[in-house]
Amino acid sequence: MDFIEISQTALLIIIGTVGLALFGMFFGLLYKGIDRKLSAHMQGRIGPPIRQPFRDVIKLFTKENIVPENAVPWIFNMAPLIGLVATISILLYLPLGGFPPLLSNMGDLILILYLLIIPSLAMVIGGFASGSPYATVGAQREMATMIAYEFPLAIIIISIAWKLSLEGVTNVFALSSIVSAPIWSSAGPIGFIGFIILLITLIIVTPAELSKIPFDSPEAETEIAGGILVEYSGRNLAMFYLTDGVKTIVMASLIVALFFPYNLSPLFGFGSYPAFAIDILFYLVKVLLVILFSVTLIRVAVARLKIDQIVYTYWVPLTLLSLVGLICIMWDQTIMANFGLNTVFEMLGLI
Amino acid sequence: MNIIDFLLQHSPALIVAIPLLGAFLTPLISRINNKARNIFVILILGLTTSIVFLLANDVFAGNIHTYVFGSQDLALPIVRILFEVDAMSAFMAIIGSILALVAVIYSWAFIKENTGLDKFYTLILLTTAGMFGMVLTGDMFNLFVFLEITSIASCALIAFWTNKGKSVEAGFKYIVISSIGALFLLFAIALLYGQYNALNIATLANAIQFSFLDKIALVLLIAAFAMKAGIVPMHMWLPDAYSKAPASVTIVLVGATQASLYGVFRVCFTLYGNTINLSPASIGWIIVLLGLITMLLGVAMALIQSDFKRLIAFSAVAEIGFMFLGIGAGLTVLGNAEMMAAIGIPAMSGGVFHIMNDALDIGLLFLVAGAIYYATRETSLDKLGGLARNMKYTTVFFIIGLFAVSGIPPMNGFASKLLIYESTFQLNPILSIVAILSSIMLLAVFVKVFHSVFLGPSLPKFKEVKEVPKSMLIAMGIIASIIIVFGLFPELIINNIVEPAVSALVNYGDYIREVIPTFTGGI
Amino acid sequence: MSMLETLLGTFQTGSGFWNPIVWIIVAALVFLITYILRGFGNKKYKKGTEQVKSFLSGNPEYEKEKMHVKGSNLFWGFTESLKWIFDILHKMHTGNISDYVLWFVIVMAVLFLLVGLM
Repeated sequence: MDFIEISQTALLIIIGTVGLALFGMFFGLLYKGIDRKLSAHMQGRIGPPIRQPFRDVIKLFTKENIVPENAVPWIFNMAPLIGLVATISILLYLPLGGFPPLLSNMGDLILILYLLIIPSLAMVIGGFASGSPYATVGAQREMATMIAYEFPLAIIIISIAWKLSLEGVTNVFALSSIVSAPIWSSAGPIGFIGFIILLITLIIVTPAELSKIPFDSPEAETEIAGGILVEYSGRNLAMFYLTDGVKTIVMASLIVALFFPYNLSPLFGFGSYPAFAIDILFYLVKVLLVILFSVTLIRVAVARLKIDQIVYTYWVPLTLLSLVGLICIMWDQTIMANFGLNTVFEMLGLI
Repeated sequence: MNIIDFLLQHSPALIVAIPLLGAFLTPLISRINNKARNIFVILILGLTTSIVFLLANDVFAGNIHTYVFGSQDLALPIVRILFEVDAMSAFMAIIGSILALVAVIYSWAFIKENTGLDKFYTLILLTTAGMFGMVLTGDMFNLFVFLEITSIASCALIAFWTNKGKSVEAGFKYIVISSIGALFLLFAIALLYGQYNALNIATLANAIQFSFLDKIALVLLIAAFAMKAGIVPMHMWLPDAYSKAPASVTIVLVGATQASLYGVFRVCFTLYGNTINLSPASIGWIIVLLGLITMLLGVAMALIQSDFKRLIAFSAVAEIGFMFLGIGAGLTVLGNAEMMAAIGIPAMSGGVFHIMNDALDIGLLFLVAGAIYYATRETSLDKLGGLARNMKYTTVFFIIGLFAVSGIPPMNGFASKLLIYESTFQLNPILSIVAILSSIMLLAVFVKVFHSVFLGPSLPKFKEVKEVPKSMLIAMGIIASIIIVFGLFPELIINNIVEPAVSALVNYGDYIREVIPTFTGGI
Repeated sequence: MSMLETLLGTFQTGSGFWNPIVWIIVAALVFLITYILRGFGNKKYKKGTEQVKSFLSGNPEYEKEKMHVKGSNLFWGFTESLKWIFDILHKMHTGNISDYVLWFVIVMAVLFLLVGLM
C-alpha cells in the first residue's frame, strides 16, 4: 500500500465517520420522536410533535450544567462523552442501508457486543460518580440488568455464528459474511422454528439494552427519582439523551443485519444511484418496524418489573427459551445433513 | 567467544543461580545500609531479567536450549540434571521476571516501615529462583524440588505480617495445601521412576506407554498441579493466601501459581504427548470442564465478597478458568491435524496469551489494593469511599486494570478473550457462551469495587489521605504501560511470542528429540 | 512501509478480526466531534449554592458515612433472585483446612474414575 492509497482510505474513513455520526444522531432523535408519537396514540393521547426530541436537546444545551458537591468532577463530566463516543463508533462496523460496513474487515460481531457494553457502563459509572444514594441504587440496578441480559444475547450470537460455521462460511463473526449468507436460506423446518425463537428472544433483549419499560428499573422515575440521571443536567444530560437515540438505531440495525439482511434493489434491477436510494429507504423502513415492535409495542403494553424479577426473567425463562432455539438448530443440522430438504418435506407430508 | 555468547550458552543456569546467589548475599549487604540492599536486589533482578530476555530472544527464533549439570555421557542414566528451555518455558520465565522486578520496585516504599526486611528480600529472591527453576527444568524430580523451594519461601512471605493473626493462619493453610500437593506429586514421580527407571521428562516421554500405573500417575500429577494453580473446588486456599499477604508478595505469588499451571500443561502435552492416540480427547475435555466450573464459581464468589483483596483473589481464580478452557480446547483436538489448525491453534494462542495478560492485569489490581491499604490502612469495602479525589493516579491505574481484566476493547484482555471465544465455539457453543457470561460478570464485580473505594462523597476520615509514594506509582505505571502496548499491538505479540510457545507445546517431538535424537513420532 | 503495515496490522483470529489502532483513531475523531458538539452547551453553574447539594426529595442529608451506599449492599437484586446458588457457595467455603483437603481428595477420586473408565 503506497502513500496515495493510505491517504485515500484515511480520507474516506474521516468523511464516513463524520457522516455516520450526524446520520446516527439525526435519525436517532427522529425515531425517538416517532416512537413517542405512536405510543401516545396507542394510549389514546395526542402526544408531542415528531420534532420534539430535537427541541429537547437544544433546550438542554442552554441549561446550566450543575456538578454536585458529592460528585467526582472529572469522572462525572467524562462519562457522557465516553458513552456517546463508543456508541457512534459502533455505527462504523454495522452494514447500514444495505452497504457493507465502513471498516468492514477490521471489527466483528464480538467487538460490537463489547462496544455495546460501553454506553451502559458509562451510564453506570456516571451514576456512581454522582455521589447521590438514588443514583447509586439506579446504577447498580443497571449493572445487574446488564449481567442479566448478556446471557441470552451471548446465546443468540454464538448460535448464529455456530450455524454459519457449519455451513462453511469463512470468518463467521464478520458482519459482511453474515449479511452475504442469510441464515434463513440454509435452515430446514426445525431450524426455522429455532431462528424464530431466537428472533423473539432478541426482540425481548432490546428493551433491556435501551433501558425501556418493562426493564427500565435503573431509571425508574417513580421509585428512585430518576435513578442514574438524577444529578445530571444541561449538556451532560443532552449527551446521554443523544446516546440513547443512537443506541436505539444501533440495536435495530444489528437485528436487521443479523436476521433481515435482504435488499430490495436486486428485485428492481436499477442502476447505481436509484438502487442506493431504494436500499437506504428500505433499510430505514426495516429499522422503523424493528423499533416499533421491540420498543414501542412492549413499552405501552406492560408495567415495570422489579429488579430481581428482571434478573429472574432473563436468567431463567429467556435463557431456557434461547437454549431451546439452539437445540432446535442443532437438531436441524443433523437432520439436514443426514436427510436433505426434500426428504424432510416428504416426511412432513408436504410433497 | 564474547560476553553475549557466553551468557547465552550458560543462561539456563545463570537465570536460576543469580537470584539464588543474591538471596544468600542479601542479609550480608543489609548490614551496610537499607538503601544499598534495595538497590542490590533491584540490580540482581534487573540482571536476571536481561538474561531472560536474551535467552527468550534466541529460543523464540526456534532453538531449544539444554544445559546439563553432571555427566555429558547420555549412556549413563541418572547422573545428571537437565535443564531444557523451549519457547513455552521462556514465555513463563519472561512473565516471572517482569512480576518479580515490579514487586521489588513496589516494595521499596510499601514495606519500608516493617522490621525483618532482610528476610523479606531474601525470601523474594528465593521464591523467584524457585519459580525460574520450575519453568526451566527438564527433569521431574528437579521440578518437585523447585516446587518445594517456591512453596516454603512463599509460605514465610505470606505470613510476613506476623503481628496479625490472620496472616499466620493463611501461611499455615498455604503450607498444608502445598505439602499435600507436593507429596502426591512425589508419589506420581516415584511411580514413573519405578516403571521406566528415568527421571528426565524427555526420556520418560520417549518410553511411556499408557499402562494402568501411568494413568494413576497422570491423575495424581494433574490433580496436584491443578490444586496449586487454583482450580475450583480446590481453590479455597487462594483467597486466604492472596488477601493476607502484602501486596508485593501477592504479585510474586501470582507468578508462582502460574508456574504450577505451566506444570499441568508440560505434563499433559509433553510428558504424555506420545500416548495421545491411546487416550483420546477425554483428558482435554476434563481440563475444559474444570476450566468452565472454575470460571463460573470464581466469578460468582467474587460478586458477594466485601473485602478488597479477597475479591480480586476470587477473580484471579476465574481468570485461571479461562486459561484452562483455552489450552484444554487445544488438547482436545491434539491428534487431529485439520481440527487443530482450525480450532486448536487459535484456542491455545488465546489461552497462552491470557496467561501473560492475566498476570499483568491481576498484578496491577493487587498493586492498587496495596496502595489503598498503604494510604488508608483499611481493606474492607464497607469502610472505604470517595478516594478518587485524593489519589488520582491510583484511580487511573485502577480504571486501566478494570478495563483490562474484563476484556473491554482496546486493552489486552479483549485480544486474548476474542481468540478464546472465536475458536471454542466450534467445539461446543456452550463453552463460548459461559466464557462471555463470566467475562461480563467480572466487569460487574470490578465496577462494584470502583464505586465502593473510589467514588462517592468525600469522607471526613480520609481527608488527610495523600497519593502513594513514587516508587509504587512507577511500579504500577510499568505494568499499565505494558498492558496498553499489548492491547494496541496484539498481532506483534502473538506472532513473535505466543505462536512459538504454542507450537512448542504442540510439537512435543522437538522437545524429546533434543535429548533423544532417534525419537520418531510426534506431530 | 512494511513496518507501518505491521503496526497497523489487523489481528486475525480464525473467524474474526480486530484492529485496535484504527479503532483508536476513529474513536479519537468521534471524541473530537462530540467535544465540539458539547462545547455548544452551557458550562456555567452557580458553585457553592443550594444547587450543588444532592437531591434527596426533601429528606435531610445525614453525615457522609451514612450517605455512601456500602459495597456489600450493591447488586441486591442479582444476589436475591439467585439466592439458592449463593447460599450453596457460601456454605461450601467454610475456611476449615480439613475441608480444603477433602475437596482435593474428592476431585482426585472423580478424576480416577473418569480416567480409569477411558
